[in-house]
Amino acid sequence: MHKGHYISGAGHLGLIGWALFGGIFNADPLPFEVQQVAVISGAEFEAMLAGDAQPDTSVEIETPQAPVAEEAPETPESVPDNAVERPTPPAPETQALPEPDVSPEPLPTLPPVPEPAIVPDVAPVAQPEETVILLPRTSLRPRPRPANRVAPTPVAQPEQDTKVDDVVREEVKPEDVAETPKPEQEASAPEETATQITPETSEPASGAPSASLRPKTRPQRTTAATEPTTQDSTETESDALKSALQEALAGGDDATPSSPEGPPLTRGEQDALRVSVEQCWVVDVGSQAANVTVTLGMEMDRDGRVVTNSLRLINAKGGDATAVETAFQAARRAVLRCQKTGYDLPAEKYDHWREIEMTFNPESMRLR
Amino acid sequence: MKHWCEMRQVVMWMLAVTLCAIGVTAQAQSGPLRIEITDGVVEPLPFAAPNFVPETSGAGEWGQRLAQVVADDLAGSGLFRQLPANAFISQITSFSSPVQFSDWKAINAQALITGAVAVNGSQLTVKFRVYDVFAGTELGSGLQFSGTTDGWRRMAHKVADAVYSRITGEGGYFDSRVVFVNETGPKNARKKRLGIMDYDGENLQYLTDSADLVLAPRFSPTGDRVLYTSYETGFPRIYVLDVGSVQRRVLESAQGTMSFAPRFSPDGRTVVYSLTQGGNTDIYQMDIGSGRSTRLSSAPSIETAPSYSPDGSRIVFESDRSGTQQLYIMSAGGGDAKRISFGQGRYGTPVWSPRGDLIAFTKQSKGRFHIGVMRTDGSEERLLTASFLDEGPSWAPNGRVIMFTRETQGAGGSASLYSVDISGRNLKRVKTPGGASDPAWGPLQQ
Repeated sequence: MHKGHYISGAGHLGLIGWALFGGIFNADPLPFEVQQVAVISGAEFEAMLAGDAQPDTSVEIETPQAPVAEEAPETPESVPDNAVERPTPPAPETQALPEPDVSPEPLPTLPPVPEPAIVPDVAPVAQPEETVILLPRTSLRPRPRPANRVAPTPVAQPEQDTKVDDVVREEVKPEDVAETPKPEQEASAPEETATQITPETSEPASGAPSASLRPKTRPQRTTAATEPTTQDSTETESDALKSALQEALAGGDDATPSSPEGPPLTRGEQDALRVSVEQCWVVDVGSQAANVTVTLGMEMDRDGRVVTNSLRLINAKGGDATAVETAFQAARRAVLRCQKTGYDLPAEKYDHWREIEMTFNPESMRLR
Repeated sequence: MKHWCEMRQVVMWMLAVTLCAIGVTAQAQSGPLRIEITDGVVEPLPFAAPNFVPETSGAGEWGQRLAQVVADDLAGSGLFRQLPANAFISQITSFSSPVQFSDWKAINAQALITGAVAVNGSQLTVKFRVYDVFAGTELGSGLQFSGTTDGWRRMAHKVADAVYSRITGEGGYFDSRVVFVNETGPKNARKKRLGIMDYDGENLQYLTDSADLVLAPRFSPTGDRVLYTSYETGFPRIYVLDVGSVQRRVLESAQGTMSFAPRFSPDGRTVVYSLTQGGNTDIYQMDIGSGRSTRLSSAPSIETAPSYSPDGSRIVFESDRSGTQQLYIMSAGGGDAKRISFGQGRYGTPVWSPRGDLIAFTKQSKGRFHIGVMRTDGSEERLLTASFLDEGPSWAPNGRVIMFTRETQGAGGSASLYSVDISGRNLKRVKTPGGASDPAWGPLQQ
């Protein structure tokens, strides 16, 4: 009555034995699977990684910069909110500058103002008048709606016996006798259009970063040298692994060498900065500039002040060029005016606010 | 053994994948710190305007006068606040010397206006610069105007317009004039005449005498002519007056009709107006050159107070065709009209903004009068004022300020001119001698 069990058990044992001793696991010809590897310790692994480490980045991790408090204080006679001035020159602004920072430009001479009498000479009534000209209001070009990847006309399907595949393969039949016989395979071709309506993947450029920042490598250990393995297969594997890790770590070529470390700014710290700037952001709610949202980029020094000439316009939405320029100037004034001796930002998180992008969005303040 | 090796290999690759994942996570937390500012402050921008530096003998007084008018213009707009001279840390002694920005930052001056003036006989030359103090840069470049000493106020207004434009990015309105109806005498025997003055009430002159009743003056687009309605013949008639020569002529004189509420087209060649004939009031337009009139509306109701859009393609007007006074828009060639006002109360005297985006109107609701604005499709209606009687809005040439008539209650009540920013702020009375009504703001002077 247990004949079935016996048969099943014998079958399973045979299958397991065949799997273990039949060479099923080493039949794969892929190179990385046939290489020999050795068990390495964590220390050896770190030492191996250390070989790829950048020495300059490791310093910042192990020895963070000293607090900003060591910086020299402001000169007492200088105005507390002269943030845009270059901090390095010792001479305060109250001294006479040998070279004027704003060199007077030659004044263009306008046509003389006509006699400003109350009742000036006027043209005859019948003379054509000038037309009131409105400033052209340029609008942002609307985003094109993503088109569907479905062809307007049906595309002729491949032959009946053509198999759908990602790559194109020529059909080889057994009767097609060649000098070098090829293995038999079915003809295939990629789909020319999708079978479903799917939006195009080529979206307009977004603000998302194009490359990812990678974490810093581990610090290099000078004492622990990597133990070269004697087996060629192990070296090959190590090289492949290192190259893979290098590729992964060096993926962001444009990443700054000093990526932010440690915890980011808390919500409260960000709010404090936001409130500080809002107090100085003067919005003319009746102007065309109130329809413009601008994003400013700036670099900060460790005192929490904007680095001179680093303020720039990154993006603007709404309004014409003049309105954008006005909105930018108002935002720039807000940032520079309220920084005074420096925004109150945590010095230990300097890497996180070394660069700031600030968006000024007056939407909630517009006239309704 | 091979299996162990494979397992270690798998572990190593998983470790590599994990490192990649960590990298992706780090990327989500990296990049510049991003902050969004949504709540600013609405307050005047503080500026400093030291006396303009005299460059010739006897120019010191002119420098003081010019700087003061410039400062008054800017501060009067409500968008700027003048810092008192006694707060200045440093003085501007030379127009060409570099500016010590730290001294002006210390007193929180966000804009600095420096100027110089030279007098040669009756010839006056003024030049100026505008600085963004906190950015440490000059806004635009230096500019100068030249004229006679008699026109020194106009030169100051031009400087103020340039400063206003460089800071706000919009055109100014200080070098403009206003034509209005001057009112004298008691309410039951009031005398009216046309007056013309600078936007700030200075340089007042009269264009007509007070023998006949005059109403609703309107500037031409270039400010050289004025349309108005006069009861000289006992019936309302439209006249066009040359501001330079003060010569006038009747524009429309059909027998048995009443014409009123005229307004120029943006090109100045056409006049649109109301004509009452046989008890029905409709809108007409007249080609000034040929004198030929065209009827634009033909409803049995009252259509009046037409006003062109800045491009001259459409006309907004008031009509009671729906049973109550409302605003409508039709093509400049006439035809069907579309109602745009739907709020409670009655709407009248619509005027299209020079910017083209808003329509100002008078609204009567619940026993009070308001000056308001709405989009050209009737949306986003906002009431800017409220009083016993506010009416007759007129736009500043930059479309930023509205001037209107406010009349006080009672037998001793009088009419005055007021102006208000389109934000509803900076409501103030315009200086006029005696009573004043029906203001029409002219264009910037050339």
